Amino acid sequence: MASVSIPARTEYLRHGLVSWLATVDHKRIGIMYLASTFVFFLLSGLMALVIRLQLTAPGLQIVNQDLYNQLFTMHGTGMIFLFTIPCLVGFANYFLPLQIGARDVAFPRLNALSLWLLIFAGVVMEGGFLLGILGLLPGGASNAAWTAYVPLSNKQFSPQIGMDIWLLGVVLLGISSTLGAVNFLVTAYTMRAQGMTIWRIPMFVWAMIVTAAMVLIATPVLTAALAMLIADRNFATQFFNTANARLWQHMFWFYSHPAVYIMILPAMGIVSEILPVFARKPLFGLKAVVVSTILIGVLGFTTWVHHMFVSGVDPIVERFFMLTTMIIAVPTGVKMFNWLFTMLGGSLNLKTPLLMCLGFLSTFVIGGLTGVIQALIPLDMQLHNTYWVVAHFHYVLFGGSVFGIFAGFYYWLPKITGRLLDDKLGKLHFALMWVGFNLTFFPMHFLGLMGMPRRIATYTADRGWELGNLIATIGAFMVAVSVLIFMVNFVRSLRHGARAGNDPWEGNTLEWTVTSPPPEHNFDTLPTVESERPARDLRLAASNPTVPAH
Amino acid sequence: MLVPPVSHDARLIDELFRVVYVLSFIVFIIVEGLIIYAVIKFRRRRADEMPEQVHGNTAAEIGWTVVPALAVGVVFGFSVDTLNRMTARGSPTAPLAHVHSLNDTEARRRIEEAKQVDLVIEVVGRQWVWQYTYPDGKLTTNETLVVPAGKTIRLDLTTPDVIHAWWMPAFGPMIYVNPGEVSYVWFNVPPGEYIGQCNVFCGVAHAQMISKVRALPQDEYERWYQEQLAALSGPTATGDPQRGQDIFMNQNICWSCHSIEGTKAQGKVAPRTLTGFANYDTIAEVVPNTADNLRAWLHDPQAIKPGTTMPNLNLSAQDIEDLVAYLQTLK
Repeated sequence: MASVSIPARTEYLRHGLVSWLATVDHKRIGIMYLASTFVFFLLSGLMALVIRLQLTAPGLQIVNQDLYNQLFTMHGTGMIFLFTIPCLVGFANYFLPLQIGARDVAFPRLNALSLWLLIFAGVVMEGGFLLGILGLLPGGASNAAWTAYVPLSNKQFSPQIGMDIWLLGVVLLGISSTLGAVNFLVTAYTMRAQGMTIWRIPMFVWAMIVTAAMVLIATPVLTAALAMLIADRNFATQFFNTANARLWQHMFWFYSHPAVYIMILPAMGIVSEILPVFARKPLFGLKAVVVSTILIGVLGFTTWVHHMFVSGVDPIVERFFMLTTMIIAVPTGVKMFNWLFTMLGGSLNLKTPLLMCLGFLSTFVIGGLTGVIQALIPLDMQLHNTYWVVAHFHYVLFGGSVFGIFAGFYYWLPKITGRLLDDKLGKLHFALMWVGFNLTFFPMHFLGLMGMPRRIATYTADRGWELGNLIATIGAFMVAVSVLIFMVNFVRSLRHGARAGNDPWEGNTLEWTVTSPPPEHNFDTLPTVESERPARDLRLAASNPTVPAH
Repeated sequence: MLVPPVSHDARLIDELFRVVYVLSFIVFIIVEGLIIYAVIKFRRRRADEMPEQVHGNTAAEIGWTVVPALAVGVVFGFSVDTLNRMTARGSPTAPLAHVHSLNDTEARRRIEEAKQVDLVIEVVGRQWVWQYTYPDGKLTTNETLVVPAGKTIRLDLTTPDVIHAWWMPAFGPMIYVNPGEVSYVWFNVPPGEYIGQCNVFCGVAHAQMISKVRALPQDEYERWYQEQLAALSGPTATGDPQRGQDIFMNQNICWSCHSIEGTKAQGKVAPRTLTGFANYDTIAEVVPNTADNLRAWLHDPQAIKPGTTMPNLNLSAQDIEDLVAYLQTLK
């Protein structure tokens, strides 16, 4: 068994600010990923509250229209690029090496570079936004929506430097994300513990493998498109001149539709980890779940054209992409039923991590179904760019990804801090967030069906949109309160939380075999794996050596 | 759909929506039902209970792969059938481009031949107004399109600036208007007033890019059209242009935001210069440039164009009359 000696020269780096700045430890980098992305989550969340306030009633001018446009541009950009994607990467940073029985990722220094690129890009983008809304940048911050469709985002229609700052930020994030993907793929491929054959790889690791492969294929396309737009704006190139408006739409969505799966697959991975543990049963149909994950990753690249159904697509091509978009529902449905049948017949431990997973299942199914509905070209002609779409993707990305992320927090924070979060506060958080989420986003389906377009800064009283918007605003503030409760719970747990011990949940995977928090080198001796539930094997062997482990 | 469908295409969309809504609702009930059942029936009752370790069930898994796949196939079939019957995309044997490049004369010819239409309107979507030009090119309206009811109308849409999308929820299909291209909309609707708005984010005043369609019986439409033509050559202002100029330059602060070549007015706030104002087609790119519209605009700009930076200056009726007279001398 291999052993690693820790170089003495790193001893002085153990504590203090310098140690955090200079660390290449995947766990510390993971913590910094989680902490920084959570700050970005709070910022984007505050922007969402202002957006909701503005739309509470017809004709409100809480912010002026230009500021409103800057707010929803940065809300979307921040939630996607600075929170959901990198927060899940933060979990992967901390837990992927632990779950596969490795001491670190394959390229620790590259890992640190990914983190600092993310933080730098976040500071650039949020800083640019702040300067913009404070009036310190001529023309304000970027205000062309996260989609930045040309020609609205070109020099003629968005002359402000705030747009260039925003573009540079997203380029940096693209580089950070691509580097991270290389690291995870190589780590998962080369550094798995002895005995961890492909059907014994933990579900979260599988999700990250597929996600990383998608990032590697999709992200460079977006980064290239952004670089071309920067060149158009500053060096008078003509990549996206007026005859090429749709080229941007294709390049943008070639990344940004797969980005939905980049945001949902790791959250699905978390759910696939938590459900078996909290049901005391193996994952139902493990191989089907893995194959479905891979299929979603592959099919994820055959959907982007559905964003152009009403922008002009050849009749044969549009029918093809309608079918491929709908087909994704099949592997997604397979996973849904496998999760449900993991719970059925189990012994459900109804603690907060499981409740958050139930939040995922109960709301994500709505996002999945509305996704199929929108994929149908005739219906897309009616629903495209309306509040129905806003409802749909929040049911996928909040109902799915964000509930998955909070499930991950309640499940894994005890491993990171060594302290359990309070379960009563956790349940209060869950209840408020679930109700608030549905109050916010369910009425948006009806608003969309009533013809309310997205991205409008205000509306008049004659359209019948008042009630839905009022309910949505109330819901948004309930979500905000629930997040405050989570923060109180977390801070409280650091001092007063019960000790987690190595394995508070009867976990299945290797991170539960080491101390909480784990030692810097993770494992004293590298583990050997004999099933897909190695921690359970060890636990059972310790309690009853005569019973076969699996 | 919650906006009652009034056109052929909107009714087809509505029918398809009802079918998939019912199918989705069934799936929704199954999934939520299983979640609730699991939580009630299988919650942990004793700390040491150990359920049977079931790893899967191949038959069941094949079932919930094949059944949804078949459902997807059926819904795909319904959708293609709906699509083939929609006016917006032509028939299955002769699919019709709904968007083509501005200089694609071949596609243009096919569209002209394929569709017998009663009225063709040239539509320009610009930041932030829809402008409709009627067949002989004499009349252009902003925001509100007036058409004869029960007739087949074709809109030929273009944009001189950014991407917009034209959409009447009651008519069904929306369409992007990309720069450098022409997009088409066909509809035939009963009498009524319909409202919609630009559906691609197009900049600061995207929310004000409203679009209205008023469908009138043929004779009323004819009368309306003649009235509009008459209004174009209608009476001009009766005020005193000299006094109007004095109000503009001295008594009031108009000059600080507006610019007129060769005068002290060199303001940079207003987006368009007032040099040659009398030749402009529109006021603030929203309403036709007639004396009456100008009176209304000066009386309350926000009422004409919500969100405009021009404030209500509380001008007296006489001031307005004189200002109108002055502005109409700017040729």
